[in-house]
Amino acid sequence: MTNDPDQVIIDQLLAGDREVYAVLVNKYKRYAFTIAQKILQNKPDAEEAAQDAFIKAYHHLAGFNRESKFSTWLYRIVFNTAISYRRKNRHQFQSIENTVIEYDQDADGVLEKIDKKKYLNQALMKLSEADRAALTLFYLDEFSLEEIAEITGMQANTAKVRIHRARQRLADELKNILNKEALTL
Amino acid sequence: MKKISQELDNELLLYLDGELDSHAKERIERALQHNEALRQRLVQLQAVETTVKTHLLEAPSKNFTQMVMQKLDQYPSQATSFSMLNGILLLIGVLLLSGIATILVSSGVFDQATGTLDLNTIQFPSLNFKQNLPSIPIDGKLIINVTILLNLGLCWLVFDRAVLKPLFRRRMQMGH
Repeated sequence: MTNDPDQVIIDQLLAGDREVYAVLVNKYKRYAFTIAQKILQNKPDAEEAAQDAFIKAYHHLAGFNRESKFSTWLYRIVFNTAISYRRKNRHQFQSIENTVIEYDQDADGVLEKIDKKKYLNQALMKLSEADRAALTLFYLDEFSLEEIAEITGMQANTAKVRIHRARQRLADELKNILNKEALTL
Repeated sequence: MKKISQELDNELLLYLDGELDSHAKERIERALQHNEALRQRLVQLQAVETTVKTHLLEAPSKNFTQMVMQKLDQYPSQATSFSMLNGILLLIGVLLLSGIATILVSSGVFDQATGTLDLNTIQFPSLNFKQNLPSIPIDGKLIINVTILLNLGLCWLVFDRAVLKPLFRRRMQMGH
């Protein structure tokens, strides 16, 4: 007998109660969307990829071996789906080397109004998609290094080193984008 | 201002995560007292951690769940399915080639393209055949006709995957 509510829902789904899938979608949609968004850097694509991943997960539910958490398995599907969307739409993305980070000289007086999220995304865009995904999973605080490794298909040690370096790189990139005052707001 | 070494930067991050042993922790705290650049880097890393944790999680559209539930029967997904446009382009290309080949065959271009391949004329240095090898008749017209037939089979497959299947799937979804 399992106490994991996800497993109970999966049992219901496999028994044919299709509508309970909405509970799982509601529970994991924000994280799934965030992972897709960090890889794709494009909201409509991320939305489509995350939805697609949920649909794939639903259709492959019978093959889920339950050795890992449902969320880990689902996020691996999200990760792979987003990566395949990224490859498919690569030509539509602006090369990061050509991305100009605009700094408005008049913005000095309105630093309080800085949209930190925007700058964070700009800094994240400087990282590789694998680094972004690993960092996202790390900061979402739900996963162990082993789970991050499983989702991203890396070795645990590789994931650890990658996250460590990506955190340093992110700090450097944010420093480049913002001045010290903005960072310490 | 003194530049921080990569080793010290690594230790600083581990310090932030509380992953240093007591000796390393004391060492980095001593260094923090005397190294302004290191202190600034710590503040910077802390600020980044806070910013990321606060702003990382994104919200999908309000009808996300509804959209997923509506599309549950739609599989395989659009991302992995055979693109209809590519399929139609391939279909046109194959049909065009088959059409050209058929015109050429019917106009008798390949009527003279016959001959025989005499295997005895081919040198096999590593093999020492004593007996006579057979000659293989080659009929260019027959080869082109078989190729046209194979192309038509391919056309049917492409038509089925790129046009018929998506069409029926869409009709089924509309019927739901």
